[in-house]
Amino acid sequence: MEQPVTVAIVEDHPVVVEGVTSWIDSDRQRRIRLAHVARDLAGLESAPGPAADVVILDLELGGRLITGEIARLAGTARRIVAFPGHSEPDIVMAVLDAGAHAYIAKDEGREHLVEAVLAAAGDRPYVTRSQAKAILADTQPSGPALSAQERQALLLWFQGMSKASVGRRMSITENTVRQYINRARMKYAATGRPAPSKDALLARAIEDQIITPGEVTMYTSRARQ
Amino acid sequence: MLSARYRRALNIAVVIVVAGWQLAGAGSQLAADRADYRSVAFQLAMWLVLAVVIAAGSVRLLRGMSGWPGAWALALVALAAATAAAAACPAGQLLKTDWGWGAAGWVGVLVLLRRPFGELAGFLSLAAATTFAIMARDGLHRASLAGFITILAGSAAIQFAVTVAAGALELVARQAAGAAESEAAVRAQSAIARQVHAARHARWLALQATAAPLLRALAAGTADPGDETVRRSCAMEAARLRRMMAETDDTLVPLMHELHAAADIAERRGVAVDIETAGALPGVPPGIRRIITDAAITILVAARSRARVTMAGTGAGIAVSLVADAPEQPRLPAGHGEVTIEQQHDGDDLWMEARWSSQ
Repeated sequence: MEQPVTVAIVEDHPVVVEGVTSWIDSDRQRRIRLAHVARDLAGLESAPGPAADVVILDLELGGRLITGEIARLAGTARRIVAFPGHSEPDIVMAVLDAGAHAYIAKDEGREHLVEAVLAAAGDRPYVTRSQAKAILADTQPSGPALSAQERQALLLWFQGMSKASVGRRMSITENTVRQYINRARMKYAATGRPAPSKDALLARAIEDQIITPGEVTMYTSRARQ
Repeated sequence: MLSARYRRALNIAVVIVVAGWQLAGAGSQLAADRADYRSVAFQLAMWLVLAVVIAAGSVRLLRGMSGWPGAWALALVALAAATAAAAACPAGQLLKTDWGWGAAGWVGVLVLLRRPFGELAGFLSLAAATTFAIMARDGLHRASLAGFITILAGSAAIQFAVTVAAGALELVARQAAGAAESEAAVRAQSAIARQVHAARHARWLALQATAAPLLRALAAGTADPGDETVRRSCAMEAARLRRMMAETDDTLVPLMHELHAAADIAERRGVAVDIETAGALPGVPPGIRRIITDAAITILVAARSRARVTMAGTGAGIAVSLVADAPEQPRLPAGHGEVTIEQQHDGDDLWMEARWSSQ
């Protein structure tokens, strides 16, 4: 059996920690192992033993928004899954731009957190509905251009359809739906500020043939214009 | 508004009178007596100074500028030029050849029109006093005194009269404006009352179509509250009533507000409803909102345990969607004109999207 993915939870609300732990435990294949729990970033950094593969990170610790710390944290080769209480598009975009792998709003946790952690551990993108919402709401002229298909897939996913239903609606396979949504996410990873975690995401996306190396250059050069 | 129009008309009239006096009155006197002056060039120069002051004063008046420093600076420049012109008149011929005194008085009317009345009185007195002083320099006698008083009475009377008339007209205009305003207010009020009545009537008619027959049937006992379809109809009508009440609330995004009101009914049944928006939403006209919310209500009523309501801006329009577990698969109202409604069933899952574009 494969080694389980190790996670650290940085969260100052014990009830949330309990919830996350129970989701991890309810995974029948035991693909995730909880390495440690910290109440704040200092607690995470001083934790004994090897660093966890993925950090589940609340964005509000001790009443303080820590979005500004994410870039530094993402630079230490940790994969970050943001797990905050709100889903304002600006914050979502800023957190992803800083190098977080995925953004799971608290009310999306039950459905998505375990899968998002596993995706992050494999440097694969995971797009929640709150991420889709933030991308749809993004009107920055410097942002990447999405194709009509990518936009439509994101919209239907945001509306609450399952990916299979989106596929039926668009007369494409579920796999293609996933591809469209992930491509949109990768276009954002290829633009904006550089981060090691984004490089890892992009490298994996090229390997998985979500995008081609040429497209990465195209998006980055467009963003630098 | 009205009072401003009156004021502007009067200002223009004063400008015409003062400029006309400078050209026709003072100008023609200067031309007629040109042989008597010691220096015509000097008189002409002083006349030009007054003309410039009149031009500046006219601009100030028409732009509504009435600050005292500007007004008095212009008045005193005019008085100085007029006095210099008078002093340069041939001795003993002042009353016959002087054009400056009268012209200065009119400049005073022009620049002090919107100042307190006492300021003009002061200015005209000052002008009369300087003229009198120049006359006294040449020696006073009975004929010149009589002439001075005649001119003083004549010119000052007209100049005062114009200023008093301006004040009176202002008062009348203000009263007229007040009357017009209260009339407009009455008219607006009755228009609002008519609109409110029409909206109430429209809502009453809407209730007559669906809610009233249901209530009648319940009262008569022909509709059984134990029947699932009757209960669903009741929930539907309750949601419509809530929406109707929400329609008259003044909110930033009325569509969202109305959808919240409709969702509330579903939540009372134990359906978990979440409402999300993405992007900037356009304003949606009331008729369109009703078509969209009607479709939403149909699904919210049919939802068994969960429903997700989303609004997404789509360029110039909006896409309102509902996803719910609705095993019964309700019949949705048809789209109408500018609203297209689409739906898809996947097992128990029902997806609906209503799209509207403002273009």
